[in-house]
Amino acid sequence: MKSFLKGLFDIKNWKKRTMITWVVVLIIIAVCIVLSFLKPSEADMKAMASPEMQEMIKADESSSRKRVTVTYNSLIIVNYCSFSTSGAKEITEKYVGFVGKAFQADEGFGKFAGQMVNYTYRMLGCGENILHGAKLTLFLTTASTLIGVVLGTLLALGKISKNKVLSKFCSGYIFFFRGTPLMIQLFVIYYTLPAVFGFAWRDLFSAADNQAVYKGAFIAALIAYGLNSGAYCAEIVRAAIQSIEKGQHEAAKALGLSYGQTMRLIIIPQSVRRMVPPVCNEFIMMLKDASLVFAISLMDITTISKNIMTSEISYIVFLPALVIYLIITAFFTWIFNAIEKKFSLYE
Amino acid sequence: MENYEYILETEHVSKNFGNLVVLKDINLKVKKGEVICIIGPSGAGKSTYLRSLNQLEKISSGKIFIKGDLFLHREKDRTVERIDKKTQQKLLLEMGMCFQRFNLFPHKTVLENVCLAPVQVKHEDKEIVKAEAMELLKKVGLAEKANEYPNRLSGGQQQRVAIARALAMKPEIMLFDEPTSALDPELVGDVLQVMKDLANDGMTMLVVTHEMGFAKEVADRVLFMADGIIAEEGSPEKIFNNPENPRTQSFLRSILNV
Repeated sequence: MKSFLKGLFDIKNWKKRTMITWVVVLIIIAVCIVLSFLKPSEADMKAMASPEMQEMIKADESSSRKRVTVTYNSLIIVNYCSFSTSGAKEITEKYVGFVGKAFQADEGFGKFAGQMVNYTYRMLGCGENILHGAKLTLFLTTASTLIGVVLGTLLALGKISKNKVLSKFCSGYIFFFRGTPLMIQLFVIYYTLPAVFGFAWRDLFSAADNQAVYKGAFIAALIAYGLNSGAYCAEIVRAAIQSIEKGQHEAAKALGLSYGQTMRLIIIPQSVRRMVPPVCNEFIMMLKDASLVFAISLMDITTISKNIMTSEISYIVFLPALVIYLIITAFFTWIFNAIEKKFSLYE
Repeated sequence: MENYEYILETEHVSKNFGNLVVLKDINLKVKKGEVICIIGPSGAGKSTYLRSLNQLEKISSGKIFIKGDLFLHREKDRTVERIDKKTQQKLLLEMGMCFQRFNLFPHKTVLENVCLAPVQVKHEDKEIVKAEAMELLKKVGLAEKANEYPNRLSGGQQQRVAIARALAMKPEIMLFDEPTSALDPELVGDVLQVMKDLANDGMTMLVVTHEMGFAKEVADRVLFMADGIIAEEGSPEKIFNNPENPRTQSFLRSILNV
């Protein structure tokens, strides 16, 4: 792992293209930092409200029933602020702040920009804990793929082992988890297991924790996704292991290596490179399947975007959703490519 | 000194794949330091015999002794004599093997390839093994390639690394399974030279080969195998100059008059 990181940041051996990519990335980051300093502050944004609105906000301070809802979203380089009143007289005012200036965002391009900022902010799960939006999607996908790869390797070794009972068990596991829908597996783990064994997922956390329900649901989701991913990864790992030449086994055996040593030192290290592309595939599938958690009351990118659509009757909400998914996928594809390159050093 | 007469002995070794008989009742006694070349047409069972010596192929029946100790005993009725696993492993390590396709570990450097087994199997000290490995690589003329990956080497160089890798386990018997068959003709010489040096050092060697020149020059004994039996055996002079068996005669005629 240490050498892997070293390889990733080994500036001397960088090719020109990698160099240019990094320079572009750094420039973008620098520009973002500058823009983030230039954007109007929260106080500036709130001061944009019309005098009428200001009055109502002031009145709210002394009253127990608030009439104005103030939303402030800050998204790295832009921010968005909206004021809306409820009651007999409904007024809404929206502003987008960018490069030191706040723009009206009630119509035209300003409105579009304002919506984009607000939707992106909500879909990323900003201002919420890790169990919301893109953070949930990322966390769930990464964790379950990691579990899947480890579990899959064990299952693959079990399936190809000479122990008939173990082999049959692993085949059965893979058959079951590939043969049933992920959503039903999720239901079984979230609803059926607690019902049969008399426990509740939220009980894993203290009763005082107001997020206990979500956390419990997340644990259930993580188990379901991990077990499911394990079955798919098992076949990936098995295919990779069995694609290694027979001669490698023979050479290891002739040198006196045990079966375990052969697998650990010779076969698995060689098969990693062949596993990476299909595992990357599996990861991306998981990323999209993560939206199924809406069924157990968790909110991921897809669910949030659909909720926004129905509550605000806004159909452009899917645009930022697509962009968020693409950015996540691009980032992880890059990581997987780096891993593949690392392991194909000798080829 | 050693309390055995033959370093390797096989008694009634037979093997069949289903109904196809590959080896029929092969008896062979090899003295320490002997170099034996096994020649014969393809499908004769030469490779199978060599591979069955170190258990890469399961024999159907027969006994194999190494350094006078029973290494393997299996009967036709599928009874297997239980032999202590440790003894068996120890005897297995007395044999080093080189393959036609080298089978180097591609994800390890040349030096790691050579060091792997002594460290992992014999649990020897890493630094000592490294020094010995460099010595072996020098012997096969590849010391400067120690940190290269096998794919950067030519076939001949890879085979020499494979020989060094086998020698690192300090075996008393070396098995060569057509070590030069997968090589370009101009690379054969270097590998054969290494094998000759090894023979001169007194290593016991069993070589399945199509290199008749090598067999003539180096072998103490040549076995001609056909249809799963040793059809004829004897000194190289006898086999190559006065073969008695008509099958040997026709085989030699066909390959020497190309």
